[in-house]
Amino acid sequence: MNEIPRFAGKVALVTGGSRGIGRAIALALAAEGADVGLSYRKDAKGAREVVAAVEHLGRRAVAFASDAAQPDENEDLVQKTRAQLGRIEIVVANAGVPGPRGWEAVGVPAWRETLETNLVGAYSLVRAARPHFPPGGGSVTFVSSIAGLVAAPDLLPYAAAKAGMLSIARSLALALAPAIRVNAVAAGWVRTAMTAPLHEANGPREALRRGIPRGRWGEPDDVAAAVVFLASDMARFVTGETLVVDGGGSLRWTAGVEE
Amino acid sequence: MFDLSGRVVLVTGSSRGIGRAIALELGRAGSDVVVHHRANAARAEEVRAELSRIGVQSLTVAGDVAHPEEVARFVRAAGEWKGRLDGVVTSAGIYRGDATPDVGPNDFQSVLRTDLEGTFRTVQAALPFLKKSVRPAIVTVSSVMGAHAGIGGVAYQAAKAGVEQATRALALELAPRIRVNSVAPGFIRTDINRGGHEDPRFHAAIVAATPLGRWGEPDDVAPAVRYLLSLEADWVTGLVLGVDGGIPLR
Repeated sequence: MNEIPRFAGKVALVTGGSRGIGRAIALALAAEGADVGLSYRKDAKGAREVVAAVEHLGRRAVAFASDAAQPDENEDLVQKTRAQLGRIEIVVANAGVPGPRGWEAVGVPAWRETLETNLVGAYSLVRAARPHFPPGGGSVTFVSSIAGLVAAPDLLPYAAAKAGMLSIARSLALALAPAIRVNAVAAGWVRTAMTAPLHEANGPREALRRGIPRGRWGEPDDVAAAVVFLASDMARFVTGETLVVDGGGSLRWTAGVEE
Repeated sequence: MFDLSGRVVLVTGSSRGIGRAIALELGRAGSDVVVHHRANAARAEEVRAELSRIGVQSLTVAGDVAHPEEVARFVRAAGEWKGRLDGVVTSAGIYRGDATPDVGPNDFQSVLRTDLEGTFRTVQAALPFLKKSVRPAIVTVSSVMGAHAGIGGVAYQAAKAGVEQATRALALELAPRIRVNSVAPGFIRTDINRGGHEDPRFHAAIVAATPLGRWGEPDDVAPAVRYLLSLEADWVTGLVLGVDGGIPLR
């Protein structure tokens, strides 16, 4: 099949694009023809590598250090991406932090940091980008997690923030319709740096794998493909949806029951 | 991405409407397609002719999904064509929108047998052929009314809710090898609901209620099926994907 690239002539902005799922999203969008702006918080080297990889695909790329938790930095990120790449019609709010472990002693600062980066950051990114969408509209995709759909006492603030993202995806889908479609991806257990403590240890890796009907951990590319679908014309009548990409892991209530 | 080259997919109810759009979309994505119809051979042949114009191999099979023995027969014909099925899309369905007092003795069962049991029997009959595929996938067709109540058609809404839960139950039972997902279309301009979209008042009411501001077209639904059948959706199973212009948001 020789198709015209899906995103030819379009510009995508991906937060947290220096590694993991964000990196895979940036590369998948570029492979489909998009120029890409990406943000990173600390990993400048990773961001440079993604820029080089996008350029290797024949697309333009720019990377900026930016903290998703700071609304003025999101504002800057959008302005600079627009200035350097000329337009923005695909926004992917992916930047996130796992937050503190456990639920018993989560302090207010940890709550704030987790909610502000994951949830408030997703909102302020969309608010900043909104005036820049072309008249023909565009799409926003939130990278959320199944932690936002199921009980997750080990990651209490993270799960709350991710559930919040699913909520604001629906609200913003309604508020920004019909020009801008807003959807979310709820990712399951994906092998990234964030989950390295789990997938690099035999016990947790196998225990979690057994809970996934498809029988394997997810890869960043699994999530990136869902984002490509949602951002593309293929999903032109899809808005306010949560696309669960988890190998079926959130299907069963009998996860702990031996069969 | 989302290339279906070399795959063999059966699409039930594909002589017209959403099923037809799915058959053509899958063909454009590179798949060989088995076109199924109940009793509309002429329309099914048109779909087949259109597929061959774009260089796609196709076969036509016929039968009523409400009758398990007919399902077994046409699914076997579909499977034996290439010796396997890489995908099955259960798009065959009927709609009855009668108010409860007007639902006759056999009407309720007739909707359930076609929309719910027909879906299940199609999947059941296809299993031996799906097991011969390297990356088998099933996509059922639900409706926005499977999870969000609308006026009229209690049997239809219950059947589609059943399709959604059957999708999740099958996803779990057939894991890890066979993926099972569903698309849940909103209000789509097809023959099945011509009475709706050709009524100016109802047409306008749906436009007003749909955040994306229009009725859907069969071609809006088909790419979602393509995505779910593709290798890129390898880690997606048990999902019900709404293709509804955001209508449940209001």
